[in-house]
Amino acid sequence: MINLRDKGAAIWESQGRLGRIGIAIGAVVIVVALPFMGGTILNTPIADYESVLVYPIAMYVLMAIGLNIVIGKSGLLDLGYVAFFAIGAYTMGLLGTKTDLNTWEILPIGIAMAMFSGIILGIPALKLRGDYLAIITLGFGEIVRIVALNLGALGRSEGIINIPTPPSIFGVEYRFDSHRVYYWTLLVLILLAIWMVRRLSVRRAGRAWESIRQDEDAAELLGVPTFKYKIWAFVLGASVGGAAGVFYASKTLFIAPDNFTLQISILILACVVFGGMGNIWGVILGAVILGYLPDRIRFISDARLLVFGLVLVIMMNLRPDGLLPRKKREKAIVRKGAS
Amino acid sequence: MVYGVLRMINFANSEIFMVGTFATIIIIRDVFKFSQTSEPATGLRLWLILATALFFSMLVAGVLSMLVEVVAYRRLRRMDSGVLAPLISAIGVSMVLAESVRILTDSRPVASPRAMEKKFIGQFFDAGIRIDNTIIVISALILFATLITFVNKTRMGKAIRAVSMNPNSARLMGINIDGVVSATFLVGGLMTGAAGFFYTLKYENTASNVGFELGIAAFTAAILGGIGNIKGAFYGGLALGLLETYASFFLGTQWKAVTVFLVLVVILYTRPNGLFGEALTQTRA
Amino acid sequence: MELNQVTMKFGGVTALNDVTFDVKEKEILGLIGPNGAGKTTIFNVITGVYQVTSGEIVFAGRSLSGVKRYKITKSGIARTFQNIRLWGDMTALENVMTAADTHKKSGLVSGLFGLPVSRREEKRDKARAQELLDFVGIGEFSDRLAKNLPYGVQRRLEIARALGAEPKLLLLDEPAAGFNPSEKVELATTIRKIRDAGYTVLLIEHDMSLVMKVSDRVVVLDFGQIIANDSPGKVQDDPRVIEAYLGVPEDAS
Repeated sequence: MINLRDKGAAIWESQGRLGRIGIAIGAVVIVVALPFMGGTILNTPIADYESVLVYPIAMYVLMAIGLNIVIGKSGLLDLGYVAFFAIGAYTMGLLGTKTDLNTWEILPIGIAMAMFSGIILGIPALKLRGDYLAIITLGFGEIVRIVALNLGALGRSEGIINIPTPPSIFGVEYRFDSHRVYYWTLLVLILLAIWMVRRLSVRRAGRAWESIRQDEDAAELLGVPTFKYKIWAFVLGASVGGAAGVFYASKTLFIAPDNFTLQISILILACVVFGGMGNIWGVILGAVILGYLPDRIRFISDARLLVFGLVLVIMMNLRPDGLLPRKKREKAIVRKGAS
Repeated sequence: MVYGVLRMINFANSEIFMVGTFATIIIIRDVFKFSQTSEPATGLRLWLILATALFFSMLVAGVLSMLVEVVAYRRLRRMDSGVLAPLISAIGVSMVLAESVRILTDSRPVASPRAMEKKFIGQFFDAGIRIDNTIIVISALILFATLITFVNKTRMGKAIRAVSMNPNSARLMGINIDGVVSATFLVGGLMTGAAGFFYTLKYENTASNVGFELGIAAFTAAILGGIGNIKGAFYGGLALGLLETYASFFLGTQWKAVTVFLVLVVILYTRPNGLFGEALTQTRA
Repeated sequence: MELNQVTMKFGGVTALNDVTFDVKEKEILGLIGPNGAGKTTIFNVITGVYQVTSGEIVFAGRSLSGVKRYKITKSGIARTFQNIRLWGDMTALENVMTAADTHKKSGLVSGLFGLPVSRREEKRDKARAQELLDFVGIGEFSDRLAKNLPYGVQRRLEIARALGAEPKLLLLDEPAAGFNPSEKVELATTIRKIRDAGYTVLLIEHDMSLVMKVSDRVVVLDFGQIIANDSPGKVQDDPRVIEAYLGVPEDAS
């Protein structure tokens, strides 16, 4: 099968500095312009195309980047990622309806709450390995949902309604149906997340996470404070999920425990694995495809989840490393050295 | 069992269970032509019906399980693709099975006609003992004993244990890994199918989504008992059942899952081996 | 470093029984013994993989009991592994840099914001890592992925990586496994170079001639107990040692 990653890497490497800036700008322009391509073949029947761009696609992308830090880079199996999304959303819901704070003010609080719960979950959970970590995180995800379902203060199964939208900023208005504006806001968040991950990857954190993923015991014996960095992975992943949650609540105006099921955790996990673990571009691509697909194929209507499941099975069997596997920079570097 | 041999969480197992429940209904309703208004069967005829239903469920589940392995996991295993790719594939299978059944049943639950009278046959202190519960418990014990014997005494059982401990040595000693894996899935499927039969017998109702919650419980029980360890799974299941019941009694059913998970966390934290199984946090150097 | 009456029991098995010896600064100490004698267990106990059942390990004046593993490394002990445990998907350079991260002051936050201290340390460690790769003779492989390296290079990378952690005491676990005679000679030279550069070396090896040539002193372990602790020459002639090896003082590799 064609190796997308290497082809892409080859093209990138062969450009001079100017060429690369050109490609980057071009890509950004296309992505920013996506909302305008609604009337084309990209259209999704039933659901409004532009709305789909925001959720699930952009949100999935954001969450996939976050989960990638945990699973893709550090190798920690987290099956309860939706918990952080939920915590962000419920923070927005509660504070938005009960206090005077607006979305922008609640955003850091929501992120902080998610990070805090990342620490709370991480401290006991990260003492375990592998599948046991998986089950604990899965449990955490479910516990958050069940607590939301049963606590009166969180609205039980009816959830929270009338969540305010963000106030206008720079003169741009946020109405519940101004999908494009939300999309571009999320785009900014996504870019921030990408920046954060890439920055960290080339420094000590990135190396620490890679070494933990590949051989945690050896890492510890060679001086890597593994526990600390595992917690960091969790916390950073949680922060991204929480941010997504805050915006989700602020856009959909209404949240309920049913929005935060295990299925979402698994879906985000599928984005990461399907797209190529560890590779941020792969993960983004995976999230875009898996977020887009179910709505696009709605014309098959009832059987669409069935088709989705089939796609997962087939893809995994054909390309177990995902669409864009982890970067193998060596090829590119060797080529550079040779020329 | 599958985990012990393959170190893989078979997500799809809960869907196989669900198929088992439907298989049971098919037997009772369509083969033996029971309906809501039929007279319950008694005596020899009853045993015949129950036995057939159990056997058929187990068979269907076992074969389906083997099929799933060949279609969805075998290739990944050959490629040694790590632990996550099979997991996602399993999730895909799970979705395919659940959705297929859902479409076939029009998203509605299906009732099982009652084939037997659920009368009380005895007393245990305050609690009445119903016959269907008794049948389930006794059958489960028999199946379990059979499984233990199989794993410990038969040749295939030994092969399975060998592969679970060290696949490479096993291969070098001439054991056919593919065969063993198929057998593992078959046996796992048989057990799961039996569980499906028990479920239908007791609850007389099933739907395409019964697999999920029970699947979680099953996996939790396995971990509780020490994963990879069959006896552990047994005690784990027992412990979990008791735990759930007490939790819902004291705290109300809505907190049942939460308490169970919290207990799981505590247990894993203080006794990382589960109750009987292999060490989970042990470092290797 | 001193091991005082160290005993290590695993359930019913006593892997180490009342082991006492010390490692002097700037010496090369060879640790030998038949298979299963407990040599790797000693490494594991020193590096904190296992907590001793009884006894004490003192390093640079401080006890190592209960100290977290990465802190043990930070205090100056680093090791290689018998079966190579490199981080395959990282380059050789990155492998060494990861070990060098042990002593960095800057961490995640300063890395994220690109603070000067982080950039400085990063540059410094990158140069140091390349230096170490050159030191063990594999400098040209710095940008190759560890898993693609030939076996001999990997073994030497293990050593470079351990050195990256700036240890005072370097533990080498069978560094010559799988080497041919000429590679072993090179290795001996490298080990001596390491000692001359100021490190202390504790060496586990099966190849007798290598151990005898390189070590200043040799400790012999058998069934978890020390049966000899002397200069190489004397140990070779020690009847108890000969008996432990069934009368084969020279390894036939």
